[in-house]
Amino acid sequence: MACSTGATVPSANVERVFPDKPLAASVTGYVNFGKRALAAFFGLAIALAGGPALHAATYYVTVGGLGGEPEFETRFSNWAKEVDKLVKAAPESKVETFEGGAATRANLRASLEKIAKDSTPADALVLLLLGHGTFDGLDYKMNLPGPDITADELASLLGKVRARQLVVNTTSSSGGAISTLRRDGRVIVSATKSGTEKNATVFARYWIEALRDPAADTDKNETVSALEAFRYAEQKTAQFYETQKRLSTEHAVLEDTGKGEGVKAPSPENGYGLVASTFPLLRLGAAAKAAANPAKQKLLATREDLEQQIDRLKYQKAATPAEEYRKKLGVLLLDLARVQEELDK
Amino acid sequence: MTLRALALLPLLIASAWAQTLQQAESFRSAARYQEASTAFRVLVAANPKNPEYRVRWGRLFLERFNKEEAANLFQEALEIKKDYAPALLGLALVAADGFDTRAVELAEKALAADPKLTEAHELMARLALEDSNPKRAVEQADKALAISPKALDAMAVRASVDWLADKADSPWMDRILDINPKYGEAYADVGHFFVLNRRYEEGIKYYRKAIELDPRLWAARAQLGVNLMRLGEEVEAKRHLELCYENGHRDAATVNTLRLMDSYKNFLTYKTDNTIVKLHKKEAELLHPYVESELKRAIATFEKKYKVKLDRPVQVEVYPDHEDFAVRTMGMPGLGALGVTFGYVVAMDSPSGRKPGSFHWASTLWHELSHVFVLSATHHRVPRWFTEGLAVHEETAVSPEWGDRLDPQVISAIKNKKLLPVAELDRGFIRPSYPNQVVVSYFQAGRICDYIAEHWGFGKLLAMMDDFSRSEPTAQVIEKELGIKPEEFDKRFLAKLEAQTKGVIDGFDDWRKKLKQVSDLAKAGKHDEVIPLALAIRDVYPDYVEAGSAYEFLADAYAAKKNNTAAIEELERFARAGGRSPVVLKRLATMLEEAGRKRDASAALERLNYIAPNDDELHRRLGGLWLGEGNTAGAIREYTAVLAMKPMDLAASHFNLAKAYRQGKQITEAKDQLLLALEAAPGFRPAQKMLLELSP
Repeated sequence: MACSTGATVPSANVERVFPDKPLAASVTGYVNFGKRALAAFFGLAIALAGGPALHAATYYVTVGGLGGEPEFETRFSNWAKEVDKLVKAAPESKVETFEGGAATRANLRASLEKIAKDSTPADALVLLLLGHGTFDGLDYKMNLPGPDITADELASLLGKVRARQLVVNTTSSSGGAISTLRRDGRVIVSATKSGTEKNATVFARYWIEALRDPAADTDKNETVSALEAFRYAEQKTAQFYETQKRLSTEHAVLEDTGKGEGVKAPSPENGYGLVASTFPLLRLGAAAKAAANPAKQKLLATREDLEQQIDRLKYQKAATPAEEYRKKLGVLLLDLARVQEELDK
Repeated sequence: MTLRALALLPLLIASAWAQTLQQAESFRSAARYQEASTAFRVLVAANPKNPEYRVRWGRLFLERFNKEEAANLFQEALEIKKDYAPALLGLALVAADGFDTRAVELAEKALAADPKLTEAHELMARLALEDSNPKRAVEQADKALAISPKALDAMAVRASVDWLADKADSPWMDRILDINPKYGEAYADVGHFFVLNRRYEEGIKYYRKAIELDPRLWAARAQLGVNLMRLGEEVEAKRHLELCYENGHRDAATVNTLRLMDSYKNFLTYKTDNTIVKLHKKEAELLHPYVESELKRAIATFEKKYKVKLDRPVQVEVYPDHEDFAVRTMGMPGLGALGVTFGYVVAMDSPSGRKPGSFHWASTLWHELSHVFVLSATHHRVPRWFTEGLAVHEETAVSPEWGDRLDPQVISAIKNKKLLPVAELDRGFIRPSYPNQVVVSYFQAGRICDYIAEHWGFGKLLAMMDDFSRSEPTAQVIEKELGIKPEEFDKRFLAKLEAQTKGVIDGFDDWRKKLKQVSDLAKAGKHDEVIPLALAIRDVYPDYVEAGSAYEFLADAYAAKKNNTAAIEELERFARAGGRSPVVLKRLATMLEEAGRKRDASAALERLNYIAPNDDELHRRLGGLWLGEGNTAGAIREYTAVLAMKPMDLAASHFNLAKAYRQGKQITEAKDQLLLALEAAPGFRPAQKMLLELSP
């Protein structure tokens, strides 16, 4: 995503952005130019939506649940520890990780209740559930040492948190929790599309890989968004089953509309992915540094203008002769590179 | 009803049944199969104790491609009447259709029950010729003719024997046509034997003659279509197959071949002066450079080695769906499960169609290319064992790591003295008598060619090839070229093979037991105990490179003890022994890279291009290593492969390719790739930096 304007655009969701920005032309573009234009529109919308204020905190709560067998105990625990290490390295991160005997319902409740008190709307919360889950047709539960925690209970706890939220449920049967957890503005990533996919999942492995593999940051803005991580993990999971010649027993989905069942491939066409694309899961570099320097505000404005021109050009790609497109794109990219060079000095 | 009328009733009923049987056979002759089947059903229901009706009904099912139902009816007939010869013959026909070794046994049983059963002798003649035993085929055909001088199928076998031996003046076909000028089946039989002997073009010629005599001979037309398709003559093949389909001849070969042809719209074709490569759209861009370059390398090598110049391009078709590939081999016994050659056309599995590490596509390609040359040089007059043996020999000749390893099935066959004499080795391919005999026969044939090359020189293999091109039989060729009787050859070869494999054969059971112990110790983390035990068994069965090999356990144990040098050595042994696991080979590359041995790391990864190339991480890593080594062309190829896989990280992938082009001083291409990288991610700093550096 292109959220380099994050410092100057306040935390915004879809409802706030659309009336403020001249996007009507984009809709016309969709009608005129079809899918490619819509994709460009989506990119432009994301750029305008921006990310949260850079000084805001991100709360990471990770739970490595009950394994049942030594192999799974070790796996969930190791995953939780790895995530803990990765997110602690991120700027402005506030991390709580529960694994082994500490991954209890009481500890998780206490943690979420505290975040509900401490966090502000500018903050973000990433709740990552690693382990086994069950679904009896009505209720989803995550298996924890001692009493399990239900989807209803999680929804209630999360409902008190004012920060933007990303819930990553990688457990088996996690799809059974989607309808309970979904809410406007909340991003839900689920390793399975329904509660009936009951086998242990591999999605978590690739979600964690997305946190450390620079390839996950496909727009190279030094921030891995929830959408980028989802696409990375979903694709890797599918590849895993394909290359192993195994029947896929999990189908990951993303839900961020507040009312859907989640989809495998979020896109402007199906209306999924917009909130997830603006949710910064992990900042990889020092993208924020320049924004903090008032002397560089003019350059930043120029950069933002160039980025928007590039987005508009990409949006018109289908309707522009190839050579003309290439020439214009080359000029804009070169200008952008020069501005960035100045910013980096 | 009067008493007289009652007395007449059985006669009336008998007459009615006789009429029904006649009707059933009439329906069958008129190709009204459903009505024929209904008539047989009525007959069987009314005569539950009559075995003949069941057999006749079964023959109808057999004719209409339902072997299972046919076999059930023949079995039911045998339950009614033990050793009922027509039922035994029916079962023999079912077995023969699937190249099942029980066909001969069942036909013999039928003859024991009825020595005058002409059709059984005809079948025995056919089976003998399928087993490349023309002498026995002639004996059996003559027995059939002694019983029935007009046994047309026996005469067709005699004609086939003559023509396969290039005796142009055979009288048999004229005799057949004198008796029945429309008997196209005789030519179809000849076509069948020519195809079995891989003489496809001649087989096609005979199938054409068959349908010239009888245009409604759908089975022959279908075979004509299938074999035209095998030789790449798709347009005509499709025309014949569609005609068969439209006329109700819908056997598996016809239907599946038509389906496969429909799927060709999803394939792309790449042509050069001497190659045609056909790849599925979804992987064409990725595989094309690798397959084409390897194909050209193999052609150049074999032209020199075999002293043969191919007179037309070789076509290679690569199927990601194994079922599509399998259609190519339908009705062909003993063909490899990975690739198949029809003259100048090679069909093979794609590496993406199999679990990574289970298939060495390049080895298969070289194997099949060897067939192309051998078939071309001998005009398709070559025994199966020889062409397979030479092909297996070539797999290892191109690289010692490429050939298949000695596997437990082969070990068991050697141990239990199940290898066949060289003069009878074809039988192991065509009509195997125990599970996995085809695999064992491949191994044996390969080792025989290795043995000949080693003791008499590769030139002798070429001389044998020349002899085979004149249809000389194996026994004669062995004696002529090697100067010893086939029996003596077998004795010496087996002595050599047993000496080579003695260690693993004697130690196999103990090796297996100890490997289990090693596995248990490894699970328990007892690395100090793993090392001596694994070292003690590693070289007992060095060819074992599958999951859980001694090499891997040793590498794990050494790595756990921070002895990376020893761990690397074990993984290198694994690779040299032919290990193909992508996970293990990537691990070796990583450890080599960490040890500063980048050139060796790239060599470890390059192996995987021949095993599991559908892996973007592999190409990215190898591209990076080669870029560092200054192998710019290699890096460009690898980074291009990454892009062909439609990677998630488009920006970085274009940028990597830009770096490679820049290093190769291809600045225009580098700039193009930079623009693509920045189009995907305008703020990508390294790409921006390079763009500035390359811009005036």
